[in-house]
Amino acid sequence: MAVMRMGYVHARVTDLAEAKHHYANTLGLYETLSTEGKVFYKGWDEWDHHSVVLEEGGVGVVKYGFKVEYSEDIDIIEKKARDFGLTVERMSKGENPEIGDGIRFTAPSEHVFEVYHEATQIGTEVGTHNPEAFPRHLVGVGVPGLDHSLILAEDVRTMENMFRAVFDFFPTERVQTDLNDDDAHYIATWMTSNNQIHQIAVLEGPQGKLHHFAFKLGDWNEIGRAGDLFAMDDVPIDIGPTRHGITRGQTIYFFDPAGNRNEVFAGGYLAYRDRPINKWTPDQIAKGIFYHAREMNERFTTVST
Amino acid sequence: MPIVSIQPTGEVIHLEPGETVLSGLYKAGFAYTVGCKRGGCAICKVDCLEGEFGYSHPIADSVISEEERADGTCLSCRAVPEGDITIQLRGEDVRLVNPFLAQINARARDRARAYAESRSGTATSKEN
Repeated sequence: MAVMRMGYVHARVTDLAEAKHHYANTLGLYETLSTEGKVFYKGWDEWDHHSVVLEEGGVGVVKYGFKVEYSEDIDIIEKKARDFGLTVERMSKGENPEIGDGIRFTAPSEHVFEVYHEATQIGTEVGTHNPEAFPRHLVGVGVPGLDHSLILAEDVRTMENMFRAVFDFFPTERVQTDLNDDDAHYIATWMTSNNQIHQIAVLEGPQGKLHHFAFKLGDWNEIGRAGDLFAMDDVPIDIGPTRHGITRGQTIYFFDPAGNRNEVFAGGYLAYRDRPINKWTPDQIAKGIFYHAREMNERFTTVST
Repeated sequence: MPIVSIQPTGEVIHLEPGETVLSGLYKAGFAYTVGCKRGGCAICKVDCLEGEFGYSHPIADSVISEEERADGTCLSCRAVPEGDITIQLRGEDVRLVNPFLAQINARARDRARAYAESRSGTATSKEN
């Protein structure tokens, strides 16, 4: 069984017109569908129909979709979710436009997760036939795709257990109060199913909240260029460009026009199931989050949607 | 030209028409605890002690509750004063981080006051 990636994030925005300007013109996502009160996007290097859904009304995250390799994986995950004690419901093809049958459950953190195997394939913007390196006329930052998300939960250890048991994820890094896992209180965990350094991370905080969702970029230069574009478009920057000690990724945190935190994220080392987990102690958490300043800004733990 | 007075520290800040409280305070060189600056995170709430304000954008119910809409809670990044208002920060004071901007704001305030007085003076003379 295999979860391949976070396929989509579905978020709420207070003003769809302003949000579209941000996600299409500043970040450079491609609009693939617009319905009453919703808009669907993909990045240029993504092939499935959408990776970002924005819905007008409110702020924060509605749900996440994780794509699995085989259709049978859905049944396997459904069973594992029930065994973990979760209430699982079936979702039918079309409940999410251009997404196939699947399941839906609410995690102990109160976040909603969907699992699916089929999505309408649109293809990347460079295609698969002798493809060019990138599309010639990218807009704004021109993010190639969705990368990961950080969510808040009261009980991080339970969430790690859930992602292990249900999605077969493994942690790559953790913030914990003791290096001995049995004695430790888990403050945050970064998890994945493959070589991607994290697909989901969980930080201790209020239930059901979104800390950020991130788009991938190639390297430091692209992060710097993104920062320049955020200045041009008056995008509020939370922090960066800087590096995370955790994951070693290069980053800018910024806010969309509804106040949801976004990130552009580059780098990060390769994750392996047999690689020992990097463990950070609370006294070094600031260095783990913001490697250069080594100081937590006042927003990291208090600002969420 | 709305004036924002801050209690209990007494700063008096001049805002452009249509400007939000947060934008006005930062443009006048002051800083305080803010987050997303886009109405989503609720961190920049202050209390409005006097005066009226409106919101320039829709605000999510998860950010401002029904009760808060009536009790003077002012989400400063989206709040646009409808006249002079008096606010009080929650658990902190504004910090002056750019005194040059504060000087510019003070001059703009003086000009606006002088202009208003000259206008009201003209009106009075006409009545006479």
